[in-house]
Amino acid sequence: MTRILVILVGLGLGLALALGGVAAAQPAQPMPRAPGLPIPIQPQRVQPPAFAKPGAAAPQRETTVNPHGDTVESSGPGMALLFWLFAFVAVGGALFVVTRKNLIAAVMGMVGGFLGIAAIYMMLYANFLAVLQMLVYAGAIMVLFVFVIMILNRPEDEPVAPTGRAGAVFGSIAILYLIGRLVMMLIHVTPPDERVAMEAPAAIQLPATTADEPGESVGWGSVKAVGNDLFGPGLFPFEAISILLLVAVVGAIAIARPLKDDQQVADQEPAGEAH
Amino acid sequence: MGFLLHIGYGHFLALSAVLFLIGVGGVLLRRNALIILMSVELMLNAANITLVTFARMWGGAGAMSAHTFALIVIGVAAAEASAGLAIVVAVFRGRRSVEVDKLTVLRH
Repeated sequence: MTRILVILVGLGLGLALALGGVAAAQPAQPMPRAPGLPIPIQPQRVQPPAFAKPGAAAPQRETTVNPHGDTVESSGPGMALLFWLFAFVAVGGALFVVTRKNLIAAVMGMVGGFLGIAAIYMMLYANFLAVLQMLVYAGAIMVLFVFVIMILNRPEDEPVAPTGRAGAVFGSIAILYLIGRLVMMLIHVTPPDERVAMEAPAAIQLPATTADEPGESVGWGSVKAVGNDLFGPGLFPFEAISILLLVAVVGAIAIARPLKDDQQVADQEPAGEAH
Repeated sequence: MGFLLHIGYGHFLALSAVLFLIGVGGVLLRRNALIILMSVELMLNAANITLVTFARMWGGAGAMSAHTFALIVIGVAAAEASAGLAIVVAVFRGRRSVEVDKLTVLRH
């Protein structure tokens, strides 16, 4: 009972910290730039691309790229707090999957890890992907896994393949060194264009549908922007993935359907175990 | 310790690398076929984080193609999970075990 209380208090403290971080991460004024970035934030003005028909005159109207005016950067202390929180949730869930002996515990850790990954998507302004991640992974795929685990319901004898003591020590040292090198190398990756990368992402300019007015300006990573790409340049992969899903469904039914022989084996098995 | 406070794109890439390595470790170390499938899902997710991070890093109007690609990767992961779990169920029906070390029929 006390353990549950301690967990609840810890969760409340974490939530309060995270909320404070969000409040600190959204300044009314644009945040002061780091010393290396002297370029101030200016709403960029661009000419809308001329998608007009050949005969029509190109529209000359100017549109603002960033109509929402949010300047949340991914470098404030609140953003750092949120990043570390969700990164630890994601990595902890992943470690839970790999280390647990109980399969249901592994699946629950995986749900937590996927929620953390969805929050990471949200920090990268991929709103639609974050929602889809929660719906598809934490919803559908996890339910599938839980169903199969409930059907099988067989505890593992020895979860991890045994190796020699020396091999385990050497392998773990090598893996830790590899992880350290990789993380230290990747953490110093610099974006090619600091101004584009550190600002809130600009709105997406959809192609114009009619000749006399420019295309609509929609938020970066919103459903409309992703859908416009999915049903434009990404139409062939979209159709291919629907055929792949159909094949997978038919194949799953064909593979998992009980055969006649299996049925006889299952009928004979209780009698075999009786004596 | 500046990297603790200033979150850049490298942090997201490093997170995806760590998740990918955990998935690789799960595939290599565990014997249960279900855990191996889950680790594969983990690796696909790490690749998705990399895609979205690079889209945010380069910006531009074409960046939505990366989101489309991540969407398609999610679809592939769903197809893989359904087919893989069907195979696991079929194998379990035949030999009452889902441990991959015991599936040695094709060895001889």
